[in-house]
Amino acid sequence: MAAAKSKDNSKADGAENGIAESGVKSVSSAKPTKYGYFLGCVMPVKMPWAEKATMTVSKHLGLDFDYMKETLCCVRPGVWKAMNPDWWLSVTAQNLANAEKQGITIVDTCNGCWISHYESLKELTEEPEKLKMVNEHLGKAGMHLKGDVKVKHYLELLHDDVGMEKIVASVVRPLTGIKVMRHIGCHARKHDETLPNDFDEILRATGVEIIDTPYDKTCCGLLLYFADSNQAILERIGKKMMTAQALGVDAYVIICSGCYDQFERGVKIYREEKGIIFETPIIHIAELLALAFGYEPEDFGMTKCRPIAADKFIEKVRAIAAKNAKAAVEKKKGGESL
Amino acid sequence: MSSEPQPLKSWIKLLEAGKKITTHRQSDENIVYPLRRTFRPAAPDIAKGSLKRDFEQGLVYYVGDEVENDRAACGLSRLPPTGRSYADAVAKKRVILEDAGVFKKAGYDKKKGTFDY
Repeated sequence: MAAAKSKDNSKADGAENGIAESGVKSVSSAKPTKYGYFLGCVMPVKMPWAEKATMTVSKHLGLDFDYMKETLCCVRPGVWKAMNPDWWLSVTAQNLANAEKQGITIVDTCNGCWISHYESLKELTEEPEKLKMVNEHLGKAGMHLKGDVKVKHYLELLHDDVGMEKIVASVVRPLTGIKVMRHIGCHARKHDETLPNDFDEILRATGVEIIDTPYDKTCCGLLLYFADSNQAILERIGKKMMTAQALGVDAYVIICSGCYDQFERGVKIYREEKGIIFETPIIHIAELLALAFGYEPEDFGMTKCRPIAADKFIEKVRAIAAKNAKAAVEKKKGGESL
Repeated sequence: MSSEPQPLKSWIKLLEAGKKITTHRQSDENIVYPLRRTFRPAAPDIAKGSLKRDFEQGLVYYVGDEVENDRAACGLSRLPPTGRSYADAVAKKRVILEDAGVFKKAGYDKKKGTFDY
């Protein structure tokens, strides 16, 4: 099964990276995995705070993690495969060939980018005729793809290569008392429930409480928006954001930049066309990790350029941290007086 | 009176943007040539705007002054290390698109930045 195969690769990478199961760096002569962060279209333009948080968290965890250079659109399988599957394979192969040349494992935080890279690589390595066809086009641009490259979802990287023990051990500011709704996105659950489970496990490691709702598994409506705007916005984003508002959760946590694009679109449409203002901030999982690891919101621009301000959320995180610090001091005092 | 909900304004704007970069609009031309059979173009009107951006700069969203300022405010480089910073990568993509027949079959005019249908 595709996802299972991907998992096996992850474990091998974790070992290569010298990160033992205990979360402590092990002595290994194997070459560490070099991860290349594939930004895609949305992340660098609409979510700079998430980009910065992802870079910060990854370096904090000791990974050899840097930007993948010369990245282009992934390209979106929903649009390109619908037009012509061979076009999709030919164009997405440019990114795969670049990664292969740069000697990196591609890391995607966007589910759309991940599924495009993951499935095209699978198809190209399993069907030599397609690889040949793609290489004919790449060759005209002076490029070549052997298929010797790995693709990882960021959740896979965190959960399997870094490991939960290390993530838990890195939490110095538990976000206990913060209630969140979460949206994992369709592509992340296409093969099985591994990535959604990883998502929840990592979220819980930060200390937040996940509130389950009937809208957790519904699509964000990104591609549906092309076909039916009302269904995509009112029935998807609208239902999700209204539920978050009604439940009074502190944040709506996402991982996928494609989904975020649709959340942002929905929030703006509600504000501009319906006069409805949502107040639940949409937060990237890397931001939660950065906060839990002790970084300040200003360190990664959490207070900047977002459609729903995160001020109240930040205020609550700080209040919880202050309360926990006070409790720790009192506990210490109590211990000393015994 | 139809009970069908009206499309959202932002969606109509997106659709109109796609129609604007289409040279021959079948819905208009069918009035002049009623016996001409309509066909489904490779690129749908609603996606043409983003496809044009993809063809031109290799990515779906442009990076302008506002985005550059936002990135700087978050402690990032003003320009992302994507095709926005690597013109050569975009040039290679256009070679691949050309060779794979995308421009031709999608009816995309590279010089004008328009779609035939």
